[in-house]
Amino acid sequence: MNQQNKDALTIRDLTLYYGASRAVYDVNFVLKPLELGCLLGPSGCGKSTLLRAIAGFQPLTSGEIWLDGNLLTGPSVSVSAERRGVGMMFQDIALFPHLTVDQNIGFGLEDWPESKAEQRIHELLDLIGLHNLGSRYPHQLSGGQQQRVALARSMAPKPKLLLLDEPFSGLDTEMRGRLASEVRAILKSDGICSLLVTHDQREAFDFADRIAVMSDGCIRQFDTPFNLYHEPKSPFVAHFVGPGEMVDAKVSDPRSVLSPLGILTNDTDLGFETGSDVKIFLRPDDLVHDDDSSYTAILVEKHFRGAHHLYQVRLDNGVVLGCFAPSHHDHKIGERIGVSLDIEHLVVFPQ
Amino acid sequence: MAVTGKDRISYFRVFRLNGFLVATFGVALCVALPLCVVLSFLATTSSDVWQHLVDTLLLRYISNTLLLSFYVTIGVVCIGVPTAWVIAFYRFPGRQTLSWLLLLPMAYPAYILAYTYTGVLEYAGPVLTWMRASNMPDWVMSPFLNIRSLLGAALMLSLVLYPYVYLLARAAFLQQSANLMEAGYTLGQSRLSVFRRIVIPMARPAIAAGALLAIMETVADFGTVQFFGVQTFTTGIIRTYYGFGDTPGAAQLSSVLLGFVAILVILERHSRNRIRYYSDQMRRLDQAAQHLTGFSAFAAQVLCALPILFGFLIPTTLLVNWTIFDAQLQSLWQLAWNSFALAGGSSFLIVGVALLIAYANRLFPTRSLSYMTTFIGLGYALPGVVVAIGILIPFGIFDAWISELLTSWAVKPQLWLSGTLFAVIFAYLVRFLAVANGNVFSGLSRIRPSIDQSGRLLGLSQTGVLTRIHIPLMQGSVLTAILVCFVDILKELPATLILRPFDFNTLAVRAYELAGQERLIDASPASLCIVLVGLVPVILLNRSIGKL
Repeated sequence: MNQQNKDALTIRDLTLYYGASRAVYDVNFVLKPLELGCLLGPSGCGKSTLLRAIAGFQPLTSGEIWLDGNLLTGPSVSVSAERRGVGMMFQDIALFPHLTVDQNIGFGLEDWPESKAEQRIHELLDLIGLHNLGSRYPHQLSGGQQQRVALARSMAPKPKLLLLDEPFSGLDTEMRGRLASEVRAILKSDGICSLLVTHDQREAFDFADRIAVMSDGCIRQFDTPFNLYHEPKSPFVAHFVGPGEMVDAKVSDPRSVLSPLGILTNDTDLGFETGSDVKIFLRPDDLVHDDDSSYTAILVEKHFRGAHHLYQVRLDNGVVLGCFAPSHHDHKIGERIGVSLDIEHLVVFPQ
Repeated sequence: MAVTGKDRISYFRVFRLNGFLVATFGVALCVALPLCVVLSFLATTSSDVWQHLVDTLLLRYISNTLLLSFYVTIGVVCIGVPTAWVIAFYRFPGRQTLSWLLLLPMAYPAYILAYTYTGVLEYAGPVLTWMRASNMPDWVMSPFLNIRSLLGAALMLSLVLYPYVYLLARAAFLQQSANLMEAGYTLGQSRLSVFRRIVIPMARPAIAAGALLAIMETVADFGTVQFFGVQTFTTGIIRTYYGFGDTPGAAQLSSVLLGFVAILVILERHSRNRIRYYSDQMRRLDQAAQHLTGFSAFAAQVLCALPILFGFLIPTTLLVNWTIFDAQLQSLWQLAWNSFALAGGSSFLIVGVALLIAYANRLFPTRSLSYMTTFIGLGYALPGVVVAIGILIPFGIFDAWISELLTSWAVKPQLWLSGTLFAVIFAYLVRFLAVANGNVFSGLSRIRPSIDQSGRLLGLSQTGVLTRIHIPLMQGSVLTAILVCFVDILKELPATLILRPFDFNTLAVRAYELAGQERLIDASPASLCIVLVGLVPVILLNRSIGKL
């Protein structure tokens, strides 16, 4: 109970069925006040269902949802959506087309004293950088502007928790990244605890303090973006948050494995029995292109990413790995190039 | 200087463009003729009769027309919006069936409903006989006795016109994104407040558009108000023209009516524009609908069943009953043949013209063409009475002129244009071309230019594109256009009545004549024919909505 008072959002043992099919199960996680969380997963993994359950649009099969020490949903309790103090930003923006920007933002402020409501609207318009567009109608705004107004509208009544349901999915890639960071800054400055749902790993990294990676209806790992990338707890998470290759290896001592790249040693114990077969996960940043290296590999594929190259190289033993190279190192396919290892932490999974 | 290839092509294009332009311009002139004729009398000095009209009757025409429109607006909104709301937001047994049965009253022209209800409610009719027998108090009986009144006419019109509001409101409700309502809940609003602040305001333009269509039909109505003795503009125009023999007076009255219609058209277009902004194609409301059981489900069923009962089931039962057991009507087959041949021939012609205009717009999209097309679309808003007067006047002048010319060549004077089927068909073209246009244009716009282009790239010639792509794809919308025109013509009363050749009767005209002679029961076979044929496009309409 005490713990729940300190946390903003607590979800305990949440399970949700659609008829006979299990959409979400065994979900447990906690968001701290002011924290920006994210549910990341492929489409159909249950993340939007979970979000709608938190908003109160989807009844639970079992489990509890707590917000600021109040039970929202639990056995024999279900606070209706409008009494939860939970705001939501929708995938299709869902601005009221018959109301101006001002009226949209002020929609949830009907009970506020007029002067306070006006002040809040102004404050939010300034925050989203649209202070001179208050009297426009939604259809007179660009996509990005509509998105920001939708954000301001959902923030206006100062919800205890703001849910964002793939709000950037309708935008182009560049705009998406920019808005995700922008929204993050706005939410941080207004001090609203939020939960974003997305299938886009970059958007999640741009936005969130901590990310829950979901697949097949449950949370696989809930961690910071850095840890998800560098210390994934399962092959699914490893693959989902960024590129990389699995390579067969054998544990040679508690801290080392014997791999096609030689013996690799970790700073800490790997937790696997010596002699057992494992897989190690190598990201392109673990293998670096280095012209001076005596260790070479054949370049088989290359993707120019502007600031750098993403190469695929084939080692002499046939293993193909990703490898980052500086932008100016433009080698030809088939060329033999020098590579060296730069591994800070070994990611090891059982066979 | 030699003509370059480029020059030749542009010359060719300009030439063809002119061909289509001329044809469309000719059609636009046809539509413009009655309009211009009527409006031209605004400039003439007013006659004594007109002065008399202004002094005595004009005010009554205006107030009756406005009052009738006002009551019909209340009627169609009160029937159309709640039924649309129940169908869109709730699920209950029978909902699917009721949702399309609610369209059935559209098959009725208001005047036929008026004849039918008058027939059953007259003093010696079964309802009042029963009421007297069971000693009902006067205040219960009097509304039934007074069906022939302005309120009665408003009731009849509301019962057949509410589907406009129902259809548009239902579409508006269904097209609202469920997310908008949920956004309302997450902003702390109750169900009632979401309904009041989001659902209704967003459906308002659609409701307004539906009500405005109903008002346009109301001000154009002749059969109902004439039968009930309500003096409106349409009956006034006929009375001025025939009763007083005052052509300028009738034309000037028509101009006032046109002004009224013009306002309605502008308002309706305005509402339509707003609907575009308000519809959202994302997640539909379907998932958010609430299931009803027990008494609330029953209440919803009753609410939806009442308009169907009074707008369709009761009058149809009466008509069928009278037709089988009581009616005395000779020459029904002759009437039916006259009606069907006239309506069939006219609708083929009209749809042919519509196709011409549609292809002109597609092949040579120029601004002048699109303006002309929009103008042609206004024909539907012209009340039949105004179209008839606007045709009668110039045709009469033409006949007089040509007779004079021909008498000098010793040809016996006769009517060349007025009082011919040509005049009737001309009126139908003016009035119903917009209907055909709507169907044909929407059919053609579904064939995107990229489809033509891929046909060409796959080796089809221009003709090949037409025969192998357009004709198969256009069949449905062309048939629908013909059918809708056919039924509209079948139901049309005032223009046919005024312009028809002497002794040429159609079902609608005969029903009108018999009703005028208080032979309401004998009018029922003709009425029933019109209603039954009128059902076909209603069913088609429902199917095309179901596909959405």
